[in-house]
Amino acid sequence: MSRTIRGRAWVVDDYIDTDQIISGKYLRILDYEEMARHALEIPRPGLAEQIRPGDVIVAGRNFGGGSSREEAPRVLQVLGIGCVIAESFARLFYRNAFNIGLPALILRDAHTRFNDGENVTVDVARGEVRLEERGVLLHCEPVPPLMMRLLEAGGAVALYKMRTTERVSKQE
Amino acid sequence: MGKTMAEKIIGSHTEEGEASAGDTVEVSVDLLMVHEVLGARIMPVLDEMEVDHVWDRSRIFVVNDHWAPAPDVRSAEIHRRNREFVRRYGIDHFCDVDCGICHQVLLESGLIRPGDLVIGSDSHSTSYGALGAFSTGLAATDCAIIIATGQTWLRVPETIRIDVEGELSPPLMSKDLILRLIADLGNDGANYRSIEFHGETVERMSVESRVTMCNMAIEAGAKSGLMTPNNAAREWVRSRAEGDVGVEVLPDRDAEYVDTLHYDLESIGLEPYVAAPPSPASGRPVSEFEGIKIDQAFLGSCTNGRLEDLRIAARMMRGKRVHPGARMIVTPASREVYMNALREGIIQTLMEAGAIVTNSTCGACVGGHLGVLGEGEVCISSTNRNFPGRMGHREAQIYLASPATVAASAVRGEITDPREEMTR
Repeated sequence: MSRTIRGRAWVVDDYIDTDQIISGKYLRILDYEEMARHALEIPRPGLAEQIRPGDVIVAGRNFGGGSSREEAPRVLQVLGIGCVIAESFARLFYRNAFNIGLPALILRDAHTRFNDGENVTVDVARGEVRLEERGVLLHCEPVPPLMMRLLEAGGAVALYKMRTTERVSKQE
Repeated sequence: MGKTMAEKIIGSHTEEGEASAGDTVEVSVDLLMVHEVLGARIMPVLDEMEVDHVWDRSRIFVVNDHWAPAPDVRSAEIHRRNREFVRRYGIDHFCDVDCGICHQVLLESGLIRPGDLVIGSDSHSTSYGALGAFSTGLAATDCAIIIATGQTWLRVPETIRIDVEGELSPPLMSKDLILRLIADLGNDGANYRSIEFHGETVERMSVESRVTMCNMAIEAGAKSGLMTPNNAAREWVRSRAEGDVGVEVLPDRDAEYVDTLHYDLESIGLEPYVAAPPSPASGRPVSEFEGIKIDQAFLGSCTNGRLEDLRIAARMMRGKRVHPGARMIVTPASREVYMNALREGIIQTLMEAGAIVTNSTCGACVGGHLGVLGEGEVCISSTNRNFPGRMGHREAQIYLASPATVAASAVRGEITDPREEMTR
């Protein structure tokens, strides 16, 4: 599994809740690509159009608080976001992100340490973030083993299928 | 060492039979509630998983509540998919668009008992802690795996214990208390943790008031809000559950809490509380907001759309009128609540006062329909979230308050201390 992510860092504030990541009024859109055009449009209007694969969202405290909606990490992933780095995460967002295979890294004072739009390289397994233009290396908290297993499998659905296959082959 | 309610209930649902805070454990789920997330998000995940069965059709509860009845084609399609799922797998428990808000109808169903472990596809699934059940919200992927296996993993939460003493008398409501507690905790103050609510104030509360508190535990980030059953909760379960009334779980005397908070309502002088935008944790006494003009007063939701909520609003509005500069929308939390309010004359009183009474749905609370806010509009609301854009336009302002404060404010057209309207 390649877990080196290269892209630009997009910085948002503390307490970006799930309604700000994707507003409830868009939850009836069944197609994620269509829904993702509205991602983060409240705190960062126009950002969704700028995001390219490998970019990273950097946030402050309690990113993803509020609703249980899996659409929140999903629209970021659909836009190509490689990982989210925050000072802290609301537990539902954190769980949902790993469930769909989107890494969420915890970094103290995260959103004060990045310049908006700067180039970063992230090694998820090592928890290392390199700010390329400034030659700065930041160390995130290690990803817990269960979350790492989810990432390595490619998400909870992939892990479920692997386990089901194992069970079936054992029975045979 | 003793155990908390969360440790005990989660533990009793593991193969090992016990669990401690910090453990990550596999649990068997007693009941799963899913709403529109089923048709919109869970069914595609089940397809991806290649699952064509459900683990137990008697333990899945499907509700069409968020956009009910469908205000547009997209909602209609999601509802149609849910109905198809219910038919295809013979799901025993289904509430269609005529029923009400998931948390309320689930509580009314008698399917939740003390000691149960319940998961819902909605963050306010913490509500069932009011009956002594451990319950929490999970999203589409986790719910899909539960539908297939009846199992999920949980990290056993540490617990914050909150003891509350003192009289909570009208027009003060449990909403004022929980807004105060969330303001003190902060909106991530209970992140990853469970909250246990204890003390004589909680012991004396109606089931309705208790549900409001557990419902909003998530607004401090909590995984669950738990209460030990009181007489009201026991009677609620006894009168609704068929046979099995569950197992009451009490925390051990020497249970370990990460924090223990004490509130004496008299000594803190609890006032009606209002949370200003943009966070449920920004609560302050109503006196700090009095006089702010409102465009809409909204009374409803899984937080405060129950009979006692409608009753106190009617009591405050009897013989009065909604201010000409404002509109009031009342959305009873369920058909049962609506019917009981009809029988008591509450609906008539509210209608005579000029309120609009809608069918039971999440509706305006999620910015769905039946009371969506326009740019710059100000709403005082008995709901649970005031994030930007929550009830409509991102520049709309939502002030969270108790049903009493909502009703008083509707009459005056501005944010009003309900104690002033109560005495008039």
